[in-house]
Amino acid sequence: MNERPARMSDVPQTVRGEKSSEVLYSDDPRDIGWVQRNIPCQTACPASTNIPAYIWAISDGDYGRAYEINREANVLPGVLGRICSRPCESKCRHGWPGNGEPVSICSLKRSAADLKHAGHRITENLYTPSGKRVAIIGAGPAGVAAAHDLSMLGHDVTIFERETEPGGMLRYGIPEFRLPRDILKIELHNALRLGVELKAGVSIGNGPGEIPLATLRAEYDAVLLATGCAAAIDLPLDDDEFGEKIKRVGNAEYGFDFLLAMHRGEPKKVGKRVAVVGAGFTALDCARVARRLGGEEVTIHIRTGEEYIPVTKEEIHECKREDIRFLGLRTPVDLITDEKGDLKAVRFVQNRLGGWRDNGRRKAVPIPGSEFEIECDTLLIAIGQRTVHDFLDTPMKLDRWDNAAVDPSGLTSLEGVFAAGDYVAGASTVIEAIGHARKVAAGIDRWLMGRTRRVRAVKTTPIEGPQRERAFDFIARQHVPVTDIAHRCSRGNEEVETGYDGPLAGKESKRCYLCNLAYQIDPDNCIFCRACIDVAPKNCIKMVDGVEIQSDGSYGSLKETSEWNRVGAIWIDNNECIRCGACFEVCPTRCISIVRKEFVTLDV
Amino acid sequence: MSAGLHYVVIGAGSAGHGAVTTLRARDPAARITLVTMSRLPFYNRFDLPRYFRGTTDWRDLLAVRPQLYDELAITLRRNSRVDEIDGRGRTLTFSHKEVVAYDKLLVCTGGGGHLPEVLVEYKSLMHGFATFEDATRVARALPPGGRVILLGGDMIGLDLARTLIDTGYRVTLVAGEFTFWPHRVDAAKRAELLAALTRSGIEVMDGRVPVAIEAAAKPARRVIFEDDTAIAGDVVLPFFGSMPLVDFMLGAGADMERGILVDPKLKSSNDGIWAAGDVCQIWSDELKEYRFLHGWRNVRLMGELAARNMTGAQEEFDVTADFHIGVDTAGHLQSDFWEQ
Repeated sequence: MNERPARMSDVPQTVRGEKSSEVLYSDDPRDIGWVQRNIPCQTACPASTNIPAYIWAISDGDYGRAYEINREANVLPGVLGRICSRPCESKCRHGWPGNGEPVSICSLKRSAADLKHAGHRITENLYTPSGKRVAIIGAGPAGVAAAHDLSMLGHDVTIFERETEPGGMLRYGIPEFRLPRDILKIELHNALRLGVELKAGVSIGNGPGEIPLATLRAEYDAVLLATGCAAAIDLPLDDDEFGEKIKRVGNAEYGFDFLLAMHRGEPKKVGKRVAVVGAGFTALDCARVARRLGGEEVTIHIRTGEEYIPVTKEEIHECKREDIRFLGLRTPVDLITDEKGDLKAVRFVQNRLGGWRDNGRRKAVPIPGSEFEIECDTLLIAIGQRTVHDFLDTPMKLDRWDNAAVDPSGLTSLEGVFAAGDYVAGASTVIEAIGHARKVAAGIDRWLMGRTRRVRAVKTTPIEGPQRERAFDFIARQHVPVTDIAHRCSRGNEEVETGYDGPLAGKESKRCYLCNLAYQIDPDNCIFCRACIDVAPKNCIKMVDGVEIQSDGSYGSLKETSEWNRVGAIWIDNNECIRCGACFEVCPTRCISIVRKEFVTLDV
Repeated sequence: MSAGLHYVVIGAGSAGHGAVTTLRARDPAARITLVTMSRLPFYNRFDLPRYFRGTTDWRDLLAVRPQLYDELAITLRRNSRVDEIDGRGRTLTFSHKEVVAYDKLLVCTGGGGHLPEVLVEYKSLMHGFATFEDATRVARALPPGGRVILLGGDMIGLDLARTLIDTGYRVTLVAGEFTFWPHRVDAAKRAELLAALTRSGIEVMDGRVPVAIEAAAKPARRVIFEDDTAIAGDVVLPFFGSMPLVDFMLGAGADMERGILVDPKLKSSNDGIWAAGDVCQIWSDELKEYRFLHGWRNVRLMGELAARNMTGAQEEFDVTADFHIGVDTAGHLQSDFWEQ
């Protein structure tokens, strides 16, 4: 086995107040690598939320602590607990083959927000004022997350928002039946209450009444562009490469514009037969809104198939419950209009599935000569959104996708101008925008202060014994209660998911494997009795004659052996381990230890 | 034909049996494994209504002699669920974690009963009718002359309804868009067919949307409609057509939409995988669309054709065929779907 060499680090190994012999802090790549590989949910979360920790707090009934753990990574837990795209759940170890269904991580996040005590105290680690001023353009999730972090770090932050309310697409894109506005309002307020000045209804740009970007650059020490993707992607049709035709057709509209107008307060209506083209959350939102506006036959037309679209299974299920149909393998090629220019039908071409795209999604290949028509009264197109740069007054470098080009700290080609969220990444998810904005906020802080003030480290805490019971592995995933389907669509904005109550949240939280616990066998005390192997419910304890060492120095795959004369150690494969504790309980020499490893942020 | 190729056929229904018998005939040296989730050997699902006419011993429903498997040297794996297919490594994994290698795989797992999402949460309050065990449970739950509520309809359900009426039960059909599945009928035809069902003794409720089911004392179930009205019955049976059983195929490397997408030769996008029966969507060059083709006869023919193509033939399935449904002179519904 390999001994770990001593290593120099800026991070103190112990922190005042902790028992120095027990709790250790490390920025050793091997420790960081362990956390990244062994806590798949946290690694999948763009904001790196400490998921096992908050789920464990929920199982303790401590919703307030769970909320605060969430808030360390993501300032809008109650919001994200409702509308997150849940990249964590698709990586959850409980959902791996043979382990059952993933833990309902997102709904547990919501329960932390919903079930914490009224008057719960929010924890903010405030830094002394820096005297630096930062302007942020856009009060969407990226802008708000960055504003929170920058103001916490002591900078004076002003957000410029062209709409009358903050929230960006959270406020103007996502329907209320998925995200109640009172929840959004409270969490935005909490994020901005550290002294952030919000200037709503103020546009940055070059038109009359707008503030030029140059003015902000002159008046502030740094500017952050967080304008998101502020326009719909045009729908190309046959003989209409740039999507001009849709502008001339009545009853056809981009879903982005449709939702934006509706949330600005414009009355919207749809016909009885509504066709939605698109495969993302916006498409599904459009379809569900259309049902609530009186659409009777609402269909979603997608280029590939249901299995390949980037939305959660729960969203698809709820759409279907609302009598919305998914029709696959088709691409619109033309719009058929009547003599008045109103939409009569959409002409599609049949697709076959092609290979895989770089982003992990399937390609659709049109089949020549397979065109067919679907009659409809309203068409909503939601095939994506794009960035808009018309507010810039100085040329700025863009990447090949026409998004802002930035360095790893978020700095654009303009001095002192940073960019974050969808304005850099293109249309992504709320959690991705928040995760990126927080990294950029750290970059801005570093740029303003001339040094790194906070670093990520791994905190290792000894644990006395197993935290789970084997029986927990047999709890089925607890589905989130929803409102009665019979009258749902007639109740307009009533929230569909009602969330877990305490008992349901407690039950679901017990399902978490607590992947942040590392079970280790001390080879010096192991007597090779095999008792742990015999009680292990999975193939998680192995006889090995070596371990692969990864490029960061951390342990990789195990070199297993079945020959006793080659066995170097009995090894717990933390990848297979479901943290049931059976091995710990049975070990006659107490050579199995448990530690909790988690990311923390430390001042340096 | 081959030196010991291993053919695995998943699904031991009409298509699966059509396939294995053809495979054996064309490749005497091959190793053939037939996998089924059923605990019983092959019986025709369309014979299940006979249970209500007194055929309550499963042996009387068997479609082939059990000795056939020995005679044809076919390994029948009953009560075996496939969890995963590795299309690249050409292995399949059973739910009990056994891994089996294959050279060529035919998937004919058929379809499971489709349940509209609005009724999914009430599944435990309904009876299925897909297996012999299901038929037994329905019969036990029904008192003599009891009332059966059929939701949806579909051709499998209507066949059962006819038997139940003949055997003295009361049948209420809550008709909807799936009532004549897989037939697509226009409004006039639909009205004609519903009238024929009414004349045959079935109580037809049209235009009512079931949204909930409740357990009750006696009769044991209540079906609640969108307009808050309700009806009571002893047994509620959903018949809303079928959905391909393809969950285990998700990582197989074969293209899927609702079912496994296959070319007219019934080959999937994976070189070693074919599909036949209700589980596949077949591309039609003529119609320029992927189509499901249902019906007992079609399914068997598909299994046979897939097997021929797996053993070297290059035949195409006629995807253009359509079903017909009508009312015969005796006033009964007649459908190509039931044609054996």
